[in-house]
Amino acid sequence: MSAALELRDIGVRFGAFDAVDGVSLTVNAGEVVGLIGPNGAGKTVTFNVVTGLQPATRGRVLLGGTDVTRAPAHARTAMGLARTFQVVQLFAGMTVLENLMVAAHRHTHAGVLVDALRLPGRRRALATAEERGRAVLSFLELPHLADVEVTTLPVGQARLVELARALCLTPSVLLLDEPASGLDPAETADFVALLAHVRATLGCAMLLVEHDMGVVMPLCDHVVVMDFGTVLASGPPLEVREDAKVRAAYLGEEVA
Amino acid sequence: MKLTFSLALGGIPIGAMYALQALGIVIVYKTSKVFNFASGAIGLACAYFGSTLHAHGIPSLPAVLLTIVLGVAIGVLMELTVRPVKGALTGTIVTLGWLLVLTGGVGWVYGTQVATNEPVRLLSDKQAFDVGGVLVYSYQQLGLLVIAGALAAGLALFFRLSGLGTATRAVSEAPDAARLLGIQVDRVNLVAWGLGGAVSGLAGVLVAPLLGGLNTTALIILTVQALAAALVGRLSSLPMTFAGGVVLGMLQPVVHRALASFSGLKGTDELTAFIVVLVALLFMRRSGRKDVVSGGLVPVPIRALPTGRLAALSFAGVALGALLLPILLGDRGNLSRYNLTQVAVWGTATLSLVLLVGVVGQVSVCQAVFMGCGAYGTGIALAHGLPFLLAGIAGALLAAAVAALVGLPAIRLEPLELAIATLSLSFTADRFLYSWPPLASDDGKREVVRPGFAGVDPGHVAAGNRAYAWLALGVFIVACFAVASLRRGRTGAALTALRSSEPATAAMGFSVVSVKLRGFAASGFLAGLAGALYAGLVQGASGAPFDFTRSITLLAYAVIIGVGSVPGAFFGGLVLTLTTVDFGATSDVANGQVVSLTTLFTGALLIGVLTLSPDGVAGAVGRLRLRRGPATSPAEVFA
Repeated sequence: MSAALELRDIGVRFGAFDAVDGVSLTVNAGEVVGLIGPNGAGKTVTFNVVTGLQPATRGRVLLGGTDVTRAPAHARTAMGLARTFQVVQLFAGMTVLENLMVAAHRHTHAGVLVDALRLPGRRRALATAEERGRAVLSFLELPHLADVEVTTLPVGQARLVELARALCLTPSVLLLDEPASGLDPAETADFVALLAHVRATLGCAMLLVEHDMGVVMPLCDHVVVMDFGTVLASGPPLEVREDAKVRAAYLGEEVA
Repeated sequence: MKLTFSLALGGIPIGAMYALQALGIVIVYKTSKVFNFASGAIGLACAYFGSTLHAHGIPSLPAVLLTIVLGVAIGVLMELTVRPVKGALTGTIVTLGWLLVLTGGVGWVYGTQVATNEPVRLLSDKQAFDVGGVLVYSYQQLGLLVIAGALAAGLALFFRLSGLGTATRAVSEAPDAARLLGIQVDRVNLVAWGLGGAVSGLAGVLVAPLLGGLNTTALIILTVQALAAALVGRLSSLPMTFAGGVVLGMLQPVVHRALASFSGLKGTDELTAFIVVLVALLFMRRSGRKDVVSGGLVPVPIRALPTGRLAALSFAGVALGALLLPILLGDRGNLSRYNLTQVAVWGTATLSLVLLVGVVGQVSVCQAVFMGCGAYGTGIALAHGLPFLLAGIAGALLAAAVAALVGLPAIRLEPLELAIATLSLSFTADRFLYSWPPLASDDGKREVVRPGFAGVDPGHVAAGNRAYAWLALGVFIVACFAVASLRRGRTGAALTALRSSEPATAAMGFSVVSVKLRGFAASGFLAGLAGALYAGLVQGASGAPFDFTRSITLLAYAVIIGVGSVPGAFFGGLVLTLTTVDFGATSDVANGQVVSLTTLFTGALLIGVLTLSPDGVAGAVGRLRLRRGPATSPAEVFA
């Protein structure tokens, strides 16, 4: 069986600078992988290569065994990839439910003409999307937020809504870009518990970029540490934490 | 070869004038990030003012100096109206208002017929030298070249050496930080606008004799050349702007000659400038993080569609308005039916902008061009034997295709840049497209008969046929519901999402390119439909009703009334129809002074609404304000 997500020898070069240089990693179905590293290590660039926002200079990205290296971002979504953003990017001017419905429309079909002239498919598309959105909201125990305008949400709730929106896509691989940034310790703990719940119930694979060890340690099956664009270490969380090279990169300790 | 060379060299002086006009734009943009679309209009006002001074016996040099004072005054006034407005894009729309005010004002004072006024001449047009027949310049041309070159060099040096240059950069990069450092931001802006106004005005005064007299349209359309030169200079480098203008001036006569074999091709100069604008815009791609919000217009909050009682009420309101209209607009005969049809036509046109600005979040200053395509397309389809209704749809489809073509660069461009591109297209359409033989036939006119509806003398009030009025009104009402449905449907959701964050929309599985193009095409289709209905009403297609003033006026009323409001489109149609109604003495009408007054009024209204009541009528302006995404504080996109 092929991995849910696989990066093979990814390289991204900006001018003469290798932002990412030969990164390979695998996320198996149902597995949670953490991508960590100090600032400027190339985590976000790697993440953007996976989502399709950043073209790779070399290497391949495989999604469920299919090569998507050249596929645009929206095509990858259609193949089961979903993501959240480091700086929350909810759609302003819409309610929470409307935000979720944009994502849920991945499962509907209705063109401009059908929409404009109220042809038969329109009502079904809207009903399907709304049903999906409400289902995800109750799964995350957020139904009370349905009609709240998203710009009025505090960061903690906005992150939850962004997660809900991603889940509306019914992803096979969920990418989380620093999901705990901007959250206080209590909120972070709640969020971790929620992610564990999502994983246990939906069984989708996750790749998360994160600074906060309080998120990475309890959640991840596997951790990949990056520094200067390369993979420094890789393995189970506890093992990686004890790795001398990792400690050096993070804490500035001398390598014994 | 020798001829080509000679042609190119002959274009240098006029190119220097483009450059001078462009310098006025760049100086303002460098400081305030606002694009001064009224640059050509300032030149127009100054040129006419100069001619009046000259006619009163004031010698040339003092007259020119006085016109520069006028240019400074206009620039300063513009700064005062742009200052309270938030966001560079909204500020730029204010300058469109000034364009209307200045053109309208000049037309009102001087009449729009080819003026009898003589432009003020600084130098004689006697031949200065002749190098082997290749390089032939008059004193006038030579003088202009020297003046423009010296000004460009002088201003570049001034910006580099003086404290103002540094302050200008600081103000444009980070106005708040500059303020904290003790730089008087408002004063710096004021100086830049005054300087820009002076240069734009001087350019107009100097170029008028080269254009062979005072010609309102020619002076305004000069803006497209200035836009091209300014973009070549990347809106920042004065020497590059100068070079851009000169090269464009050299290119135009050469292109003109190369295309001379296609008979009936007019407006190649504007076409050349337009292509330079497009190419320059596409090369101005900026770098930056790809997962950050792209910015643009702030999304219009979508309220739930009025259902039940509310829907019935608004529908009744529209119907009542439609019944009241004939009484408001004249007797109950043909004239009122004619005007009623017009309301439906301009209402549909406004609706196309509601869709584009309010839903897609893009500013188009060429909506009348789409209407023109619809009108000509209908004529062409009729000539091929299609029945009128099908021909109208064919025309609208042509407009949709053109709109999608315009939308193609919009995928890469910021809203401000799209405004530049679409305004350039409006100017180019006036000169090129509306006389392009395949589209407009040789004389720029196409017959649009309307079988099935009483065919009467075109232009006669009896053109206001009852059945036709009902058809137009029916189309408008269906279009209103279609836009409302579209907005609440799947595509509408994607479009609204797109305005907030392109990366996030792509992450939801929507192709950004496809969604944007669909939005543009739908808007173009509606505008084309309006154009087709108009062509049917007056039983002919021509470029005049769809000129650049009309495009700006359409945008102006869409903004004034409320870009997000579907019922607002009806009032937009009403007001636009009122602007076409002639009143007052016949001689004033013939002289174009009534139209000019309306234009003046429209511009003043636009400036007033944007400046004094930033919430606008129906909160329109609040929606035009530039903000970044929901998570960050309001910040200017072009900062």
